Amino acid sequence: MGSHDRQVNGRMKILVVNNMVPFIRGGAEKLATNLVRHLGRYGHDAELLRIPFQWDPAERMLDEMLACRMMQVYNVDRIIGLKFPAYLIPHPHKTLWVVHQFRQAYDLWESGHSYLSHDRHGQHLRNCITEADNECFTDSQNISVISRVVKERMQRFNRVPSEVLYPPLDDAERFECEAHDNYIFCGGRINSMKRQHLLIQAMSHCRSNIKLHVAGPPDNVEDGMELERQVKKAGLQDRVILEFGFLDRERVIQLVNRSLACACVPFDEDYGYVTLEAFYAGKAVITTRDAGGVLEFVTEGETGTITNATPEALGEAITRFSEDRPATISLGAAARDDIHDRNINWPSTVKKLVA
Amino acid sequence: MKVLLTSSYVPFIKGGGTAIVEWLDHKLVEHGHEVETIFLPFVESMDNMFNQMLSYRLLDMTESADRMIAFRPPAYLLRHPHKILWFIHHFRAFYDLWDSGYCGIPKTTKNHAFRRRLMDADTVGLEESKHIFTNSQIVSNRLMEFNQIDSEVLYPPVLDPERFYCESYEPTVVYICRMEEHKRQHLLLEAMRYTKSNAKLVLAGKSHSASYPRKLKLNAIKHRLTNKVEIMDRWISEDEKSQLLARCSLAAYLPFEEDSYGYPSLEAQHSRKAVLTTTDSGGVLELVRDGDNGLITEPNPQAIAEAIDRTVQTLGFAKQMGEQGPHRIAELGIQWDHTIDRLMAA
Repeated sequence: MGSHDRQVNGRMKILVVNNMVPFIRGGAEKLATNLVRHLGRYGHDAELLRIPFQWDPAERMLDEMLACRMMQVYNVDRIIGLKFPAYLIPHPHKTLWVVHQFRQAYDLWESGHSYLSHDRHGQHLRNCITEADNECFTDSQNISVISRVVKERMQRFNRVPSEVLYPPLDDAERFECEAHDNYIFCGGRINSMKRQHLLIQAMSHCRSNIKLHVAGPPDNVEDGMELERQVKKAGLQDRVILEFGFLDRERVIQLVNRSLACACVPFDEDYGYVTLEAFYAGKAVITTRDAGGVLEFVTEGETGTITNATPEALGEAITRFSEDRPATISLGAAARDDIHDRNINWPSTVKKLVA
Repeated sequence: MKVLLTSSYVPFIKGGGTAIVEWLDHKLVEHGHEVETIFLPFVESMDNMFNQMLSYRLLDMTESADRMIAFRPPAYLLRHPHKILWFIHHFRAFYDLWDSGYCGIPKTTKNHAFRRRLMDADTVGLEESKHIFTNSQIVSNRLMEFNQIDSEVLYPPVLDPERFYCESYEPTVVYICRMEEHKRQHLLLEAMRYTKSNAKLVLAGKSHSASYPRKLKLNAIKHRLTNKVEIMDRWISEDEKSQLLARCSLAAYLPFEEDSYGYPSLEAQHSRKAVLTTTDSGGVLELVRDGDNGLITEPNPQAIAEAIDRTVQTLGFAKQMGEQGPHRIAELGIQWDHTIDRLMAA
């Protein structure tokens, strides 16, 4: 025990460390388990360590940060840290692949969206988080991030350079263009930050007969009810399909593969798997200027369209996509070429992370 | 009910301590509960043990679940208002092994103080628990002796015992277990020098180090035992394990002062096979009764050899003892329905 020696044949014991909230699973958890699986496939012993993290009330974070810093990880050649504060766990060979920092202390604090107060107390907590991050970044051998948005934030707030390493889809090959049925697809979790409501409102401004299909699990019941209310209020029952719940992967793939195009209009997202899915399926993507990570993939007039985040502008874009089908289809074909050119796959990702 | 299972572990090391947690997780889900299991790292190092313990203490699991079941120390330091313990062992170097000669810690004033503070911290976590179960009478006795705390023995079952079966009683002794010094495969190998019957021995299991299996193999060659002894020092699949057990006459389990009966003995009993063990094996003695469902000998090669010969040379003896296995398991209440009833009622 206590050996950090890399074995001669290059096989390493790699511990992936991530946060967890008991009984909740989301995109980051899926990324972590996929990473562990692919590290194993490329000849390493890999395990996932999940550290419980519950940031409310804010003071509690100091305890949780300290807990991480006092943990001892033995019998491990290197660790790959994904999230704050789990990545604070000390280890002489630490690689980071940052999914996101604790945004409440950074960009959300700046924009006034944080639950940390702006008084002396909140400022103090914010400093503690920044300092812990800075120290951890200094101690890490290698820092990658999942998107340019995350890279820019870390550059701006912590003055730390990093490399963008986009998380690959696990089943990219299952996405392919099967048809161009008469609907725009919007998949993924449903909540006010993902702004499915903007698309529903946009349908009132859309002049063609195209439909909008929204499918995914609402974060809570109210999010789903709100969308249903809006559809009814605008009399769009014939034009908007709402399919709530955790969908089978098979169903998601079918909905993407048969759509005319996809829409993804979140507010300042870190990354967007749904954009990748659309691109692999050869579908153009409608998004907004403030969508964050989605904009790292979508190029106006080449692989999709980027509009203002208003119902009117989105309605206009949907109309255009619907009326000029050949143009929409060729944007989709270009999207597929674009995503293949980017070479986002697990073998090269794993290779970079363990380099 | 939402149930949180918590324990400590060393990454990449699997054993009885991780199996008991994973199996309970599986069984609780089968019984309709929502379960989340959290393993946190821990290593018994005097340099930073208290820091590590504090890191457990700082994590508050109150809102995460209706109840928390904690296993290996110091998981019971995690905070939860409805904490249940299924206590599987102390950090033994600081408890029963302290005065035993098996503890390498110098008995300085500072180390004595360290030990006392560790016991204090343990006692705090233990006293907070609503109910404490242990995996053996030995562990319960130690809790009483060192922490003055009462507990209930709840013997851990194996997952899916129905995968074990009995096919025949060939003149073979199997020892399927991690291959480590304190499991004493060497004692059994040595015994094969003294057997007079046609008994064969199979040692099967993965080792943490290369040196112990190498030593065993060298000894087998040195004492010309290679025609009587097979050494499989690798990971044994569950299917291989149940097959080996199905055909043997005796299943050995000879650990030194083990905390509990150990899954190898329980698996043998499910396969209707007698367990061969020694008078100093600790918890194994809570399961095995000499001449009834197994044999208990002095921990020396000659005595072990005699027990092996007696089993394979006495017609019907292996079968007679083996068939007591399932009865003994039932008698001790080693079954999941009972285990879950108790853990969820407390």
